Amino acid sequence: MTEPSPAALLEGPFTALADAVGARRVTARAVAEESLKRVEMAREAFGAFLSTDAAKTLKEAGDVDRRVQAGERLPLAGVPLAVKDNINVAGRPSTAGSKLLLGFVSPDHATCVARLVGAGAVVVGKTNCDEFGMGSSNENSAYGPVRNPWNPARVPGGSSGGSAAAVASRAVPLSLGTDTGGSVRQPAALCGLVGWKPTYGRVSRYGLIAFASSFDQAGALTRSVDEAARAFAVMAGADPKDSTSLATPVPDVLAALRAGARGKRIGLLAEASSAEGGLHPDVKASFEKAAETLRAAGAVVTPVSVPRVPLAVPVYYLTATAEASSNLARFDGVRYGARKGDASLAALYLKTRSSGFGPEVKRRILLGTFALSAGYHDAYYGRAQRVRALLAKDFAAAFRGVDAILCPTTPEPAFQLGAKTDDPLAMYLEDVFTVPASLAGIPAVSVPSDFSRDGLPIGMQLIGPGDSEPLLFTLARVLEDASGALARRAPGAVS
Amino acid sequence: MTGYIVAMRIDPALVSKVAALAALELSDAERDAMAGQLTRIVEHFEALRELPEEILAGEAVPRATPLRPDEAQSGSPGALVEANAPAFAHGHFVVPRVVTRD
Repeated sequence: MTEPSPAALLEGPFTALADAVGARRVTARAVAEESLKRVEMAREAFGAFLSTDAAKTLKEAGDVDRRVQAGERLPLAGVPLAVKDNINVAGRPSTAGSKLLLGFVSPDHATCVARLVGAGAVVVGKTNCDEFGMGSSNENSAYGPVRNPWNPARVPGGSSGGSAAAVASRAVPLSLGTDTGGSVRQPAALCGLVGWKPTYGRVSRYGLIAFASSFDQAGALTRSVDEAARAFAVMAGADPKDSTSLATPVPDVLAALRAGARGKRIGLLAEASSAEGGLHPDVKASFEKAAETLRAAGAVVTPVSVPRVPLAVPVYYLTATAEASSNLARFDGVRYGARKGDASLAALYLKTRSSGFGPEVKRRILLGTFALSAGYHDAYYGRAQRVRALLAKDFAAAFRGVDAILCPTTPEPAFQLGAKTDDPLAMYLEDVFTVPASLAGIPAVSVPSDFSRDGLPIGMQLIGPGDSEPLLFTLARVLEDASGALARRAPGAVS
Repeated sequence: MTGYIVAMRIDPALVSKVAALAALELSDAERDAMAGQLTRIVEHFEALRELPEEILAGEAVPRATPLRPDEAQSGSPGALVEANAPAFAHGHFVVPRVVTRD
């Protein structure tokens, strides 16, 4: 049997790579060396990575080889993993894309990282992201923007833009992101990848640098649905370190992955076509094509209304920023981070925060503080919380008639860098299709469905009730098969 | 409903007040730009306030976060906490003097 080359393995699904490492046909160390080379290229070409530590990566890859040699069966043996910089990896920096956390080194692994590493994955670097996960284009990182491997003049989406570019450029087959209002799904869509956010609580939040705790979830980015489901199977599960993690059994996403769509009831989100700001014609066409694909596969496809979806952006940007204003109060220069101003304690807080946070983070802290402040709380935060509850009921009502809801992940394909940086509201409206599932705490998967006329990926989103991940991955696989997206390689992919 | 405000405008004075609450210091230019941007954002959010009150009457706020049992657990290793601290001495974080005698 010929020995597979690490480069060839990085072009294929990580399942084949893990099989090869597990069967000792190639070493995790050789794969890590090849991945590290590509990571450097992806850093230079797209700004995808913020930090690497080659010696640490090679040592950890060697540890995986020893575990394999000792007979351990590892589902992710030697799989190179990139981790968003707002997720802790023991002994590596976590800046969350902020100047404020420059120099911070994580004391331990986030639980999702610990689970993937336990299964044999090897961390090769930390990826660039919008500061504290706040952004939809990855232009809000204190360390520079990320570019889209499908077209470097375009944004990769955000806030997990570096994690998306890392996979789309083929530096790694698997990356971790966080999804507060769409920060895994939206970059996945803009970079031609599969991205999911779980049912709230299904994957532990321990070790994620908090933005909005009632929304934040870890998710993964991969090229295929099979890989996405495998990552979910490893990452999901109860965690005593996160009191919001679910103690109920994890649904089996692998058992029926190829079951198809026959007999499934799919609702086409009625509000998608009338989205504020409009739907790009290529996205609209792809939405119609995806509906037709599911119908042809035997699904019963009907329109479904979730009436409060048009209010989701306001509700999200009031409640999530309110939570951010509280969560980010911890960045005061006392226990970690880049301290400024020693004249008094008050000056230390003020100078550290004012010089450390970037403009979008300040804007969101101000918006959230306003929404919570005396005289405005009832009219803004309180009202938004009640509409959030109403939206969750809208979804519950919709799911009495359909098994899953289909809508575009984003209203348009990747836009030009700089196109929306002067207009925060226009940027927020990019999240119109991703924030509803975040508000309701329900799972959603974005899957590549098509390409625009100018060759940019388009993603479709499947949303289901809590614990419907098995169905969502199964349906996503139907769309993936029909799209032919797996056969296409980003022009900027490294090799 | 009390405290209801019509036609919300976030002026520079309100931005300054909110910035003080959030322990943020803004230059005059930053403050004025924020006032314009936040006003535009909040204007867009007026749609929320247009929902009839009776639709929302029965909506409770979401449940409180579940808490784990209050049991002592080992925390982060001390050396790493110290390494990340801007100033650390005798097992404590050092900050500018808070209490003075005069």
